[in-house]
Amino acid sequence: MSVKIAKSQNSVINSAVDEIRATLGDTNPALVLFFASSTYEPGEISKAMKKVFSSSTVIGCSTAGEIISGHMLTNSVVAMALDADTISSVHAGIIPLESPANADTTLKSLSGAVGSTPIALDPAKYVGLILFDGLSGAEESTMERIGDLTNIQVIGGSAGDDLAFSKTFVYLDGNAYTNTAVFAILEPKKGFDIIKTQSFCSLGKKLTPTKVDTATRKVIEFDGKPAAVAYAEAVGVPLSEAASRFMKNPVGLMAGDEPFVRSPQRIEGDAVYFYCQVREGLELEVLSSTNIISDTRILLEEKNRTAPVEAVINFNCILRTLQLREEGKESEYGKIFSDIPTIGFSTYGEEYIGHINQTATMLLLLK
Amino acid sequence: MAGKVKMLIDSLIEQRSQGNEAIASTTRTKLLLKGVNTTIFTDDSDDDPAAINVILQVANEMGISLEV
Repeated sequence: MSVKIAKSQNSVINSAVDEIRATLGDTNPALVLFFASSTYEPGEISKAMKKVFSSSTVIGCSTAGEIISGHMLTNSVVAMALDADTISSVHAGIIPLESPANADTTLKSLSGAVGSTPIALDPAKYVGLILFDGLSGAEESTMERIGDLTNIQVIGGSAGDDLAFSKTFVYLDGNAYTNTAVFAILEPKKGFDIIKTQSFCSLGKKLTPTKVDTATRKVIEFDGKPAAVAYAEAVGVPLSEAASRFMKNPVGLMAGDEPFVRSPQRIEGDAVYFYCQVREGLELEVLSSTNIISDTRILLEEKNRTAPVEAVINFNCILRTLQLREEGKESEYGKIFSDIPTIGFSTYGEEYIGHINQTATMLLLLK
Repeated sequence: MAGKVKMLIDSLIEQRSQGNEAIASTTRTKLLLKGVNTTIFTDDSDDDPAAINVILQVANEMGISLEV
């Protein structure tokens, strides 16, 4: 079996879960991943999924849209079943997000279960999968702490709630949690790779935050000027039009040539609030959006040529989804993944090394 | 005096990566996301006490001890 995927758009939880179970067949997967619209009652869908996959580790979260090979969906549930031919081992637990130190306990426990310590985990053999409560605001501090503790790569996304921005949930083995992350150490049997893709080029302009409130993701000043004024100048529009440019002109913290995108969310007074933290004194590149479809397709094709891909788990930023929707390209995006078993969701933030925006992070399981 | 910040950064990355270039690269990105841009410090950079303290704090968070 290796990898199987399924979807349901039935709005009745038990019927949707039965449809998923029937599509995945009489299998006994090591891991079942599922991503479900927030229209499904969180406690009930988590319980129902575990009930029909009682001997599997069952991980999931609420979404702002779902992705499955060939389609971008809404108001649906998508699932992927991975058996021992693809995942040799999976160890999962929860991280309560009240304190970043809670990551220590979970990582030590899960590493111990694979006979290791967090720092000794082999990054060529293991990969971390993480799903956050997308409204916790705890992604940066938790990802930093995990990065302190281990060298394995960690990839994932922040749960959504169909743009209600009210409550998001993560799921593990029949339970539904808020203010929590679900973390799993996976041992892919035939190797893995990671895609981090964001479709932007540089505008050739830079902004340096000179006054920030890191905890609230608020930039008060860029280069000694009121943040909103400096941003508007950088993108070349009047202040009154600055917010309308946020989606097409975010900023990027550059690691070499690779931007870690920071997306502006709103202007309040003269300050600009972001979807993730921005550090004082670290220069940011002003970005301009390019073509999500061709960038993603080319990257996936290159990866698949280099090492054939058996399955893709796609954490696609809701802002990318909104851009695709605006451009009428959702169907085209879904089709990029037609030939490779894929599930994913529209996230409230993406994880890879740290917390990022307007990016797709993808775990590729190899053949 | 000059060059101490770069020396500390190099030592931190070496201790963490043990010569594994993939881990070294990821560690540089982790440092950047923590607020330390490793590319701006050279052998000629001033021994800025504030920058040295930041590196020592980050090293401590990563469980790495550095000799100042």
